[in-house]
Amino acid sequence: MKFLLFVLKRLLRLVLTVLIISTIIFFVIRVIPGDPALVIAGVDASEEEIDAVRARIGTDVPLGEQYVSWLGDIARFDFGESMISGESVNKLIYERFPLTITLAFMGIILGIVIAIPLGVLSAVKRWSFWDYFGMVFSQIGMAVPSFWLGIILLLLFAVRFPIFPLFGIGSLKHLILPAFSLGFARAAVILRLTRASMVEELSKEYVITARAKGLTETMVKYKHALRNALIPVVTITGIQFGYMLGGAIIIEQVFSLPGLGRLFLYGIYQRDFTLVQGGVIFIAVVFSLVNFLVDVLYSVINPRIRIS
Amino acid sequence: MKRMICLAAVLVLILVPAFVFSGGKQEASEAEAAAPAAAEPTTLNFALPGNPDSLDPHMTSGTLTFQVCKSIYDTLAEPEKGSGKIVPALAESWKVSDDNLSWTFKLRSGVTFHNGDPLTSADVKASFDRLMSEETGTPHFKGFTSVTSIETPDVNTVVFNLSKPNAPFLGTIASGWSAILPKSLLDSGHDFDSKPVGTGPFKLVEWVRDNKVTLTKNENYWMKGLPKVDNIEMHIIPETSVQVQSLIAGQVDIVFIVDADSIPMLEADKDVYIEENLTALILVMAMNCENPTLSDIRVRQAINYAIDKQKILDIAYGGGEPINTFMDKSSAFYNDVEFYTYNPEKARALLKEAGVSSKQEFELFLPQNYALHVTAGEMYQEMLSDVGLNVKIQLVDWSTWLADVYKGHNFDFTVIGHTGKLDPDGTLNGYGGGKYVSWYNDRTTELLKDAAVTIGFEERKALYDEALEIMAKEVPFVYLGSSFRQTGIRKNVEGFVITPKLDTFDFRWTVVK
Repeated sequence: MKFLLFVLKRLLRLVLTVLIISTIIFFVIRVIPGDPALVIAGVDASEEEIDAVRARIGTDVPLGEQYVSWLGDIARFDFGESMISGESVNKLIYERFPLTITLAFMGIILGIVIAIPLGVLSAVKRWSFWDYFGMVFSQIGMAVPSFWLGIILLLLFAVRFPIFPLFGIGSLKHLILPAFSLGFARAAVILRLTRASMVEELSKEYVITARAKGLTETMVKYKHALRNALIPVVTITGIQFGYMLGGAIIIEQVFSLPGLGRLFLYGIYQRDFTLVQGGVIFIAVVFSLVNFLVDVLYSVINPRIRIS
Repeated sequence: MKRMICLAAVLVLILVPAFVFSGGKQEASEAEAAAPAAAEPTTLNFALPGNPDSLDPHMTSGTLTFQVCKSIYDTLAEPEKGSGKIVPALAESWKVSDDNLSWTFKLRSGVTFHNGDPLTSADVKASFDRLMSEETGTPHFKGFTSVTSIETPDVNTVVFNLSKPNAPFLGTIASGWSAILPKSLLDSGHDFDSKPVGTGPFKLVEWVRDNKVTLTKNENYWMKGLPKVDNIEMHIIPETSVQVQSLIAGQVDIVFIVDADSIPMLEADKDVYIEENLTALILVMAMNCENPTLSDIRVRQAINYAIDKQKILDIAYGGGEPINTFMDKSSAFYNDVEFYTYNPEKARALLKEAGVSSKQEFELFLPQNYALHVTAGEMYQEMLSDVGLNVKIQLVDWSTWLADVYKGHNFDFTVIGHTGKLDPDGTLNGYGGGKYVSWYNDRTTELLKDAAVTIGFEERKALYDEALEIMAKEVPFVYLGSSFRQTGIRKNVEGFVITPKLDTFDFRWTVVK
């Protein structure tokens, strides 16, 4: 019952968020310079031709009217038609979403697999080889831009040692290098946090108590301390996942992947109003859902935190 | 101490592989096995730099759309490969009446659309009706305002009636947007955006957006024996470095535009050759004459004296031929006049005479997604500051450029390339009456208006010569030149044609061995 109420409250908050975000994006994308009709008509078009294009894509009606009719559309879960390509925005997002979400998941899993064991190891064996390795790794990971890493990975593992394809989609192989480029920087952040959090937990009094009552060192470290140390890590990982969706924009460009990021990037370049609006709302909803899941996961990891 | 050792060990661990990777020559890893047997279908892999907005040529002005659509659709007439002369395509011949008010096109017989419909005059009329109507929201109807009616006396004859002589008409008919679509599908509201159906040499198999456009040979194409290649896969690869690497690795066969930095790498590759073509681009730095300082012709002259054209062409655009007026070098209408040769001394003197202070700031707007224009812009800035002008660079995205700079006239200088047109009217129409440079010259306007309704090359050339001379003298631009385009092609591929002026891809003669 309590949980149901919690979900309901979150849902309400989500609707409110979407309403606010949709209003902001609707006006922001129109305030910045640019006009989709100019993009379609090109430099050689006359005023009359540009007006004809405006009438076709529906930017000729007053702003208020456009806004109200668009709100009506999104209330019915319909993002309208792309102004540039004429295709349904829902369909475009639906086609692109699986690739980007797979990439983001692979990236975050790669990040976790690298970061958490290394972070724990760094904390448990402080000032050891592994600790230094972890620190250098995380410094590099945070400093290296993902597009650069992507290009270097391509040059190494697709050109010099042609293990992976240079472009295209169709198999898991196509996603490994991009997922790694995405996950690398995330791993760096998660690693630092895991280490810091684990170090802190190990210095707490309950650890001393646990040791005093004769628990094995493994039990102390990996059952008691680790579980507590992971709480902040889960939050950050959730937020990092949100960043993955943003990072995908650059990575999809480097690896020629037809995902959501590239769809929205070109939408913005071309001032495809309807596509950008739909895209922003979609990302906002995904972001909110991820945060919600993180909150639920919390209570699983730490029963002391009750959902309320 | 122990800590230091550990740190050093880690650094070594990270750095050693880096050295290993950077050293060592790559062995030629030829992915391709032996040449395919004669019967086996051939496939051309082509690197496309971006996703076309739509595959409906009537409704857009996107370059990529026309480049891809060239293989799918045909026009009544087309520029001939090599010469650029407008020659028959879907129309086997045409006649102009003595008063120049009626154009009669005789259609080729036996042409069929990809859906099996035979090409008739009704299809031609339906296509132009769509293209000429303001209601359909096409950005190309202005070129047809002089057309009063289209008649179809029989299945193979189409007559365009004009209200006044229209010299650029044939150029318009031969441009990519004048593609012929089947009437039956136009009537049923078919989605040409994503499912194009034409009479062209190739049919669309599949278009996975932002990934790949797959075309297959049209077995019933009206040019006998063409096209030669069976399938085309256009891989959409936005990163230029990845395009080049894919060419070297043999994963693509043609990269349309190779950037200057990658040329040496490709020259060293024995499996790749580079084809160099003069583009039909008119590369300029435009000056906004709304700015009171720039409305002074002496300042514009000074700026022209300050620019070393060949240097910018060579460094920023990969070479090219300088021009001195607003027409591409390869055009038959190019007027070879020269008024301002590179002379920074003269530039300084003129600026002094005009009283331009080095404190006055000029804004140079560069479209950031065109890397070549950005490099060129930096060179312009340097050459201008060398003669004492204070120029600040502003990078803007393409949409902002279109709205703010081109339409909004919110700039002092901007660097851009005007694309080639089949008729000089397409290039010049509107200049003298403002346009984005806000340059007004009544004589030019008059000449250009006359030239648009004058028939006969010599007569038109005389009019354009005068107009181009005025533009060369008055210099609302720095006319830089027409650049070369370097296309990287693998040795097993021959016969890739770039349509003259329009710069579209023509795969009809392409052979993959």
